[in-house]
Amino acid sequence: MAVLEVRNTGIRFGGLVALNDVNIDVPEWEIVGLIGPNGAGKTTLFNCIMGLYQPNTGTVAYRGRNVSLLPTHRRVALGIGRTFQNIGLVRGLTVLENFMVAQHPRIGYGAIGALVGVPRSFAEERKLKANAMEVLDFIGLSHLAGSQLDGLPYGTLKLIEIGTVLATDPDLLLLDEPTSGMGPEEAHEFGDRLLELRKTLNLTVLMIEHHVPLVVGVCDYVYVLNFGQILTEGLPQQVKSHPEVVAAYLGTEVEEEEGENVPA
Amino acid sequence: MATATEAITAPLPAVEHERWRPSTAGWAARLTVLAIIFGGIFWITAIVPQYWADRISLAAIFAIIGLSLNIVLGYVGQVSLGHHAFVGIAAFVAAYYVTEKAGCTPEEGCALGDFALGMVFAVVSGGVAAMLLGLVALRIKGLYLALITLTYGFMAERSIFEIPFLTRGGAGMPAPRPDGFTTDRAFAYLTFAFLALVIFVDWRFLKSKVGRAVLSIKHSEPVAASYGINVTAYKVLAFVLSGLFAGMAGGLMAFRATNVVSNDFNFSIALLWVLMVVVGGLGNRTGVIFISAFFALFPFLLELWSWLDHYVSGSFGRSLSVVTVTVGALLAILTVIQFPGGFAEQVSPITRWLRGQKFTAHPEGHGHAPKEKGEKKHALLSKLGLHKGSEGKTDGASEEEAKVKEDVDA
Amino acid sequence: MRTAIVSGAIVALCAIILISGSGDDTGPNAFIIIGVSQGAVYGLVSLGLVLVYKGSRVFNFAQGEFGSIAAFIVYVLIEQVRSMEIPYGVAALIAVIGVVIIGLIMERVIVRPLLNAPRVTLLVATIAFALFAIGTQLLLFLPEPKSLAPIISKIPGGGNVELFNFIVEPQRLLVLAILVVVAGVLGYFFSRTDLGLAVLATSQDAFATRVVGIGVERMSRFIWGTAAFLGAVAGILYVPLSGALTPGVMTSGVLIPSFTGAVIGGMTSLPGAFVGGVIVGIVQALSNWGSGHYYLGERLWQDIVPGGPDVLLMLVLLLVLLIRPQGLLGSEA
Repeated sequence: MAVLEVRNTGIRFGGLVALNDVNIDVPEWEIVGLIGPNGAGKTTLFNCIMGLYQPNTGTVAYRGRNVSLLPTHRRVALGIGRTFQNIGLVRGLTVLENFMVAQHPRIGYGAIGALVGVPRSFAEERKLKANAMEVLDFIGLSHLAGSQLDGLPYGTLKLIEIGTVLATDPDLLLLDEPTSGMGPEEAHEFGDRLLELRKTLNLTVLMIEHHVPLVVGVCDYVYVLNFGQILTEGLPQQVKSHPEVVAAYLGTEVEEEEGENVPA
Repeated sequence: MATATEAITAPLPAVEHERWRPSTAGWAARLTVLAIIFGGIFWITAIVPQYWADRISLAAIFAIIGLSLNIVLGYVGQVSLGHHAFVGIAAFVAAYYVTEKAGCTPEEGCALGDFALGMVFAVVSGGVAAMLLGLVALRIKGLYLALITLTYGFMAERSIFEIPFLTRGGAGMPAPRPDGFTTDRAFAYLTFAFLALVIFVDWRFLKSKVGRAVLSIKHSEPVAASYGINVTAYKVLAFVLSGLFAGMAGGLMAFRATNVVSNDFNFSIALLWVLMVVVGGLGNRTGVIFISAFFALFPFLLELWSWLDHYVSGSFGRSLSVVTVTVGALLAILTVIQFPGGFAEQVSPITRWLRGQKFTAHPEGHGHAPKEKGEKKHALLSKLGLHKGSEGKTDGASEEEAKVKEDVDA
Repeated sequence: MRTAIVSGAIVALCAIILISGSGDDTGPNAFIIIGVSQGAVYGLVSLGLVLVYKGSRVFNFAQGEFGSIAAFIVYVLIEQVRSMEIPYGVAALIAVIGVVIIGLIMERVIVRPLLNAPRVTLLVATIAFALFAIGTQLLLFLPEPKSLAPIISKIPGGGNVELFNFIVEPQRLLVLAILVVVAGVLGYFFSRTDLGLAVLATSQDAFATRVVGIGVERMSRFIWGTAAFLGAVAGILYVPLSGALTPGVMTSGVLIPSFTGAVIGGMTSLPGAFVGGVIVGIVQALSNWGSGHYYLGERLWQDIVPGGPDVLLMLVLLLVLLIRPQGLLGSEA
């Protein structure tokens, strides 16, 4: 039983079919890549897995349990974490507060109790803050604890986002273009860190990526999405040189004709 | 590097938090200022004539309304142009209960228990009415929701506030003050107590997961949801809380005026309340309280000039004068165009100082430091030991952790 | 095409009711006629609302006050400056021009600085403007209602008009006629003239129109000036029919139904605006008639649910926004 099983998932927006009969398996402790040109529907698929969109067809199962009808926050509580393409952090809150929000599902007091000020809420808040500070200390960003997010450099924000997602203690991690904005060296380093993380935190990962060397170096299996459908799947090396995949990215048929160079 | 166990249990390196703290003398100064402010309010309430104390209680009630609207406007980020519906319904419910059900009369007064129960009903009815709005707000947002709230307010004015058994027509429903608090001065202190309660709950709201959740939702619902926040529940909760506060204010208004007339709650006052919160500073408790009190009180200051008298008396029901509306509207326009942070931003140097920061004219910087590279990043990715009861990560993980740490620190 | 169908349906419905009930006093006929003329007023105001929404993407809560201010100006010129005996038409013209100037001032002072601010901020600014207008009216005129004479109180040669056996004030027909004329002029303007097409284009994509070279500022001025004009005309025509000129008369009586009409017609559709306005007028009239005519048990509806028509209107608004937010003729939610 795979950690994540996506079956026959399809969704349409008005007349536009964004996803059509998508099937994906993410086995335990694997890092699975999801690649495809822009607009293929990769983020839409993530949204369906997370429950932000309700697909018109198909099911999503997590550890064998059908979660298709569960609201997003329940899926998160089960152990699915997700990053966003445009930095999924709350900009109205400080860095520290973002780390505290990340632990929301595991806070030990109820909303009503918080409002009337039961002693437990005070104690839990202190513990929460201490935990969050601890993490910030470790990543060397404790001096930013009280800062607003605006104005912080992009790389720092990415780091904070990874931190907050991991703070939710996920089993399955959905990463949406985690290396966007990074150069080849940084992306490579990220790949190394990801492999370590998988080991130390027993993570399973489904990752949307454009960075081909990273995908080849890190992923155990790759799915290719194009125009909302799975074009092909397989080991990274195979997929990488698959003619249709190349064509999908370059946008033209690759023709091996003598003397003719068909550029993108 | 020593053994794995030692690596884990060694104390964390002390990290400089670089946060400035005031000295003892600094704290003493701040506390003195606060004492003067609060003490001053109490003292003034004690020495002014009764009819001024009556106005002070209106100021406290407006402050509660301001905080109520602030939740919807500032924390949730939606516009409610029909808040007078919640306040009015609560006022009528409280008055109806004490007069029709508990049997209080203007001559005999009202027992404290009846008053308390009346207030409870007021608070609850405010919450229920606001909950309906909250449910609508799940589907409709922004300008269209504002339109719905405006329409709802008009409907309440024309329909709910005209129901004969609830409102007794033009004469209004009586609401005698509770025993022990029949004088204006005593009632003013009573309203202070309720205001303090509202401030406390609002404080807990912001400082707990509830406030963080609501603010996250306001910024981005998908992000909030992926933090495990139940967006639907918290949205409705925020509206309910706003309604509870509004209900409290409504009940107090009923007992303050000792009877409730539908003319007291009209769309103009609802609009003014919105402007009040905007001028105070959206999302800022202090600014909202101050400006709300100001809006309630300042027309009466104009009594000093008798030729303004006829402008001072309420043309929008008894608690709102023309001058408030006109000047308030002007202030709102000014705020929106020139001073978006409202009154709160103007006094922020003072409020920040009182909260224990240095006194500066400008807000603190973000404290950017050069990005820490290398080891610290590794440490994050390996540590994040915030697991609680997650299976399969106990011994195996800590050993791996230690190994990684060894690599790093070596 | 859709507009024609919807308008045709409304006209047909009214005609059926009026003709079949001709002469019958207990029927809703009189109410229908009032409803249509009320609807015409709502339609005029709705047109202003939709215009502003298309141009500035905001709900103009001050739209009603354009009318109140115009009505007060006419009142002052006619009643209070008796010594000069200004003809009604001239007074109306001065009032309309005055309100258009106020609208342009509002555009310059409030709308332009907030061009890039969130729309809710601009909404609050229009609310503030409306309240300021109401407050000023109260300060100058006090709350007691005044009375404003209609433009036409008698048609030449006779008294009131007789329509389907009911006596109709000529002013009501005038309102309807003016709405049709305005609708026609605007319809021609927006589909045939350069400026009109430019306005429609702006509402689709402000950046693109800037690139093409159409002045966004000029557009904004035009839109708000026209909205002020429409509001002023609506106020001058409506107040005499409503019976009393009080501060904020348009905002308390006309603005909400006009908004409802605009939403029903579709906030992005100009034809939808006046169609929606008329629909609201008719629905209101019918429910007024109904609650005074039908019994629940022993008591009239209106005794049991006071303000029934208002409740109905709110429910209609809620329903439209939940089920079909783009309204009848609009193109986007």
